Amino acid sequence: MQHPSDTIVLSVEGLHVNYGSFHAVSNVSFFVKAGEIFGLLGPNGAGKTSTLSAIEGLLQPQAGTITVAGYNVKENPLHARANLGVQLQATNFQPELSVAEIIQLYAGIHGVALTKERLQEILISIKLEDAAKKRFGQLSGGQQQRVSLIIAMIHNPQLVLLDEPTTGLDPQSRRQLWERMEAMRDNNHGILLTTHSMEEAEAVCDRIAIIDHGRIIVSDTPQTLIDQHRDNPEVISVSRRGKITLEDVFIGLTGRTVRS
Amino acid sequence: MSTTTIPSNQAVLSALLRADFITQWRNRKSVVLILLIPVIILIAWQGMVYKFGGPFVLSNCITIGLNAIGLMGYSNAIARDRDKGIFQRLRVAPLTAWPIMASRLMVQLAMILLVTTAVFIAGHYVDKVTLSPAGYAMGFAMAFVGGAVYLSLGQAIVGLIKNAETVNAVTRLVYFIFIMVGMFAELGALGKTIGDAVKWSPYGTVKHILSAGMQPATWNQHSSIALLVTIGYAITFASVGIKWFRWSSK
Repeated sequence: MQHPSDTIVLSVEGLHVNYGSFHAVSNVSFFVKAGEIFGLLGPNGAGKTSTLSAIEGLLQPQAGTITVAGYNVKENPLHARANLGVQLQATNFQPELSVAEIIQLYAGIHGVALTKERLQEILISIKLEDAAKKRFGQLSGGQQQRVSLIIAMIHNPQLVLLDEPTTGLDPQSRRQLWERMEAMRDNNHGILLTTHSMEEAEAVCDRIAIIDHGRIIVSDTPQTLIDQHRDNPEVISVSRRGKITLEDVFIGLTGRTVRS
Repeated sequence: MSTTTIPSNQAVLSALLRADFITQWRNRKSVVLILLIPVIILIAWQGMVYKFGGPFVLSNCITIGLNAIGLMGYSNAIARDRDKGIFQRLRVAPLTAWPIMASRLMVQLAMILLVTTAVFIAGHYVDKVTLSPAGYAMGFAMAFVGGAVYLSLGQAIVGLIKNAETVNAVTRLVYFIFIMVGMFAELGALGKTIGDAVKWSPYGTVKHILSAGMQPATWNQHSSIALLVTIGYAITFASVGIKWFRWSSK
C-alpha cells in the first residue's frame, strides 16, 4: 500500500453553510491528501451532505474557502470540478440510456476521448462487458454502484467524493467496492468518503472526522480515536462487545438519540 | 496547481445532445402521441377546411401539437430528471448550466419541426391543403415562435412547482384547458367575451400568427400585434421559469 503523499487535493477551511437561521455547517475545516481515504462520519442531519454539496459547488456557502487540486471552488468552479469525481447517493442517470451510452455521455462532458476499445476495457474492468446494452435501471444495486464509480473516475480526477457508496449492497459487493477504493488510493487519488458504516470506516479510511450539529468534533486515524476515547465513560457505556470499537466512539461522542 | 483541461462547449453540447436525442427516441411512444393528436384532429376536421380555410385548420392543429410538446413533453421530462437527481449529477461535471438546458431545448425544437412537418404533410394529403413556399416557410418560423411560448410556459410550471407528480397533473390540466377552451372559442361556441379573451391568450395569439404566417398576404397589424404579444408571453413565462427554477427538487 502506498502512503498518502504531501499533496493536498482537497482543502476546506472555515466552512459555514446556513439555511435561513439554521446553521447546517459551522466553521468546518479539514483536508484530504493524495493517496488517502478520508472518512466524514456523522449522524443524519449532522452536516455531511451540506459539506459535500459545497465542495461539489452545488450550494454557495456563507463563508469559508474550498480548494480542489489547488483550484478555489468559488473562483474556478469548472477547473475545480474537472479535478473532482463524484459518486452521489441516488442512482441519477437517465433510465433510458444503456450502460455504454452513460459512459460515453460522461466521457464526452469530461472531454475524454473514448474509443470502442477503451469503452470495452472499461466495461471489462467493472465486469459489465455483457451488460453494455442494458439500461441502467435493469442493473442490480452492485452493478449500478460499479457504473457510478467508473463514471466518477472516468476523467482520472485527483479527488473522488463517495457519498455512502455501499448503502444497500450485499457483503460481497461491499468488499469488492472496498478493494476498488483501495486501488484508487494506491493510484494516488484522494478520496472523501461518507458512510454510516463504522466497520467500513475502520476498514478503509486512513483518517476520519466525526461531524455533529454542523461541527467537526474529532478528527484522526480510526485507531487513534479508539485509543483516545477508550476510557471515556460515555464510550464505555455504549460498548457492547467487551472491547471498544469505532462505532462505540461514534455513539459515545454523538449520543444515543436517533436523528431524523 | 496542476494543469487542467476544460472540455470545449462544443464537445459538451455534442455529448449531451446525443444522450438527449437517444432518450427522446427511447420515449417514442410519447413522441407518437404528440404527433398523432394534431393529425387525428386534422383528419376529423376535414369538413372545416371548406368552411374556415386550410390555414385555420392547420394552425389549430399545430398549436395543439406545440401545446403538447411544451406542456406534456418538455416540462414533465425536466421535472422527472430533476426529481431523479439527473441534473445534479450533470452539474458536478465541469460544465456550465446553459449546455444542459440548450441541449434539452434543441431536442424540443426538433420536435416542433417534426410536428409542424407532420401536420403540413397530413394537411396536404388528407385535406388537400397546399400553401405557397413563403407560407410554409413562415409557418415553420411561426411554429418556432409559438413553440417558445409553450416551452417557456412548461419551464414556468417546473420553476414554480417542485414535485414531479404535481407538475404532471398541472400540465395536463393546463393542456386540457388550452385545447378545449381554445378550440371551442375559436369555433365561436363559447360566446363573444370568452372568444375575445382566447384571441389574446397564448392559444389565440399563437394560432393567429401561425394562420397569418401560412398566408403571408393576409398578414396585417393585428398579426404583428399578436406576434409581439406572443413574444411577450414567451419572455414573461421564461423569466418566471428561469428565476424560480431549482436544479434539485429537495
